[in-house]
Amino acid sequence: MSQLNDIIDIQDLTKDFGQERGIFGVNLQIRQGEVFGLAGINGSGKSTIMRHLMGFLHPSNGRSSIAGKDCWHSAAEIKRKVGYIPGEIAFPDVNSGLDFLHLQADYMGLRSMSYANELIEQLNLDPTAKLKRMSKGMKQKTAIVNAFMCDSDILLLDEPTTGLDPLMQKSFTEIIKQEKKKGKTIFMSSHMWGEMESTCDRVAFLKEGRIVHVVDMKTILGNELNKEYKIEFNNQNDYSAILARPFDFIQKKEEYNQVVIRVLDTDVNKLFDVLSTMDVRFISHKPYTLEACFREIYNQMEVS
Amino acid sequence: MISKTLMKQTVKNNIVLWAVLTGIQVLMVAGVASAGTNLQQTALAYYNMLPGLISAIYVIITGNKLLAQQVDKGTMAYVLSNPIKRSKVTATQAVFFLGSLFLMFALSAASHCIAHYIGSGGITATEIGHVVLLNLGLFCLNAALSGVCFLASSVFNLSKYAIAVGGGLVGAQILMSIMGMFGETFQWMRNFTLVTLFDIGSVLSPEPDSNAFVWKFIVLAAVGMITYTIGSVAFSKRDLPL
Repeated sequence: MSQLNDIIDIQDLTKDFGQERGIFGVNLQIRQGEVFGLAGINGSGKSTIMRHLMGFLHPSNGRSSIAGKDCWHSAAEIKRKVGYIPGEIAFPDVNSGLDFLHLQADYMGLRSMSYANELIEQLNLDPTAKLKRMSKGMKQKTAIVNAFMCDSDILLLDEPTTGLDPLMQKSFTEIIKQEKKKGKTIFMSSHMWGEMESTCDRVAFLKEGRIVHVVDMKTILGNELNKEYKIEFNNQNDYSAILARPFDFIQKKEEYNQVVIRVLDTDVNKLFDVLSTMDVRFISHKPYTLEACFREIYNQMEVS
Repeated sequence: MISKTLMKQTVKNNIVLWAVLTGIQVLMVAGVASAGTNLQQTALAYYNMLPGLISAIYVIITGNKLLAQQVDKGTMAYVLSNPIKRSKVTATQAVFFLGSLFLMFALSAASHCIAHYIGSGGITATEIGHVVLLNLGLFCLNAALSGVCFLASSVFNLSKYAIAVGGGLVGAQILMSIMGMFGETFQWMRNFTLVTLFDIGSVLSPEPDSNAFVWKFIVLAAVGMITYTIGSVAFSKRDLPL
């Protein structure tokens, strides 16, 4: 349930667009200084949640608040503390990227463009380019600079890296990390697993407008208690011998004499006891990725 | 009350069309008035037909651009990502819309007076009064018509609907007033258009107590106030698909 240091508080948020579309009973509490990811396939409702937080949509039921203020009633006030990247970027009718940034700075009462310039350099952006001629990636970079330049405490980023090349995605990840160090709270939707793995503290999975799972990143990516090991043997005898043992086999590849075993940390010594008498070619740990986690939960949902 | 930054942006985005149409209107009235004929006659000829058409173009196009088009394109997201209340956005746009129309007719009035002065070698206080009143009336009429477009622009997410409804209503009003001038058969149409409330006859009437136009102008201004107010409230309360 919500606590004092929850800076973004979403309670039972529902927006029914009809025909099963919308979001339904979404509950999320995001703590100050946390980087929180929102994952889900297209149309699962990620942007709808963002739009409620921005005060563009009025909830059919439930509420959301930022820093204790209601997102619908105090929409304007909240924006003093919020930087935003829209899911679909449509710049106002101004000439260049720089004109746009100056326009937004003017709205926010921002005097110094020094941080904006820093970001422009970091993203290798030419802000003097005409907005109408910009590529998707350049537009996205301009939007990123705009969201961060005011040094806002809270950042709402709706698929912030669409259109960026892998190199730039990395620069973006650096920016997120550097903002996190400053204590910023970041709420971002994405479908780039790598990006979320390297930045987020927690990730929520959204399916058909409902939160189906929230993963704490501290519990995956090698920190999971139930680890998967890939083991390959030099001969078939050992391969057959291990299959006779009561382990949880995830995968068997006879042609390589290779198995993938899932073992709880508390049982890992049992595995090594068995392996010590065998001729092992290699053993490697397969970290449990966000994607694997997502797939697993997603498939479970589909089956049930 | 209003946002200076947004006002600057709005002026920038709409000034070209305003300048072109205002320019045409100013030149047109100057042309008619400089003929040197009686002000009564030129006024009847000119104010009955032309200015309504020109300002209607401005009202329909600009009305859509002020709100609906920005929601349709999604650029409104960047306006509202700043600490600006929606009511401040509508107030700013309304002030611009009414202000630009006021200026349009103020310039027309000035042009009319100057052209008449040059063409007829002088102008009386009564004549100046008539020109000012006629243009004030046109402003009131356009306050009402722009209010209709502003309301349509506030409630629709798509430009095409804002234009169809706002533009359709304004176009129909103008058309009915013009049709109404073509003889008995279409006379009835004048009862269904706001343009009728722009009572030129009453303004120009030589009788000293002819002031029927006063309440008619007030009704036009009231229609404007109501439509602008409803539009602003509707825009503040509705979902925006940004």
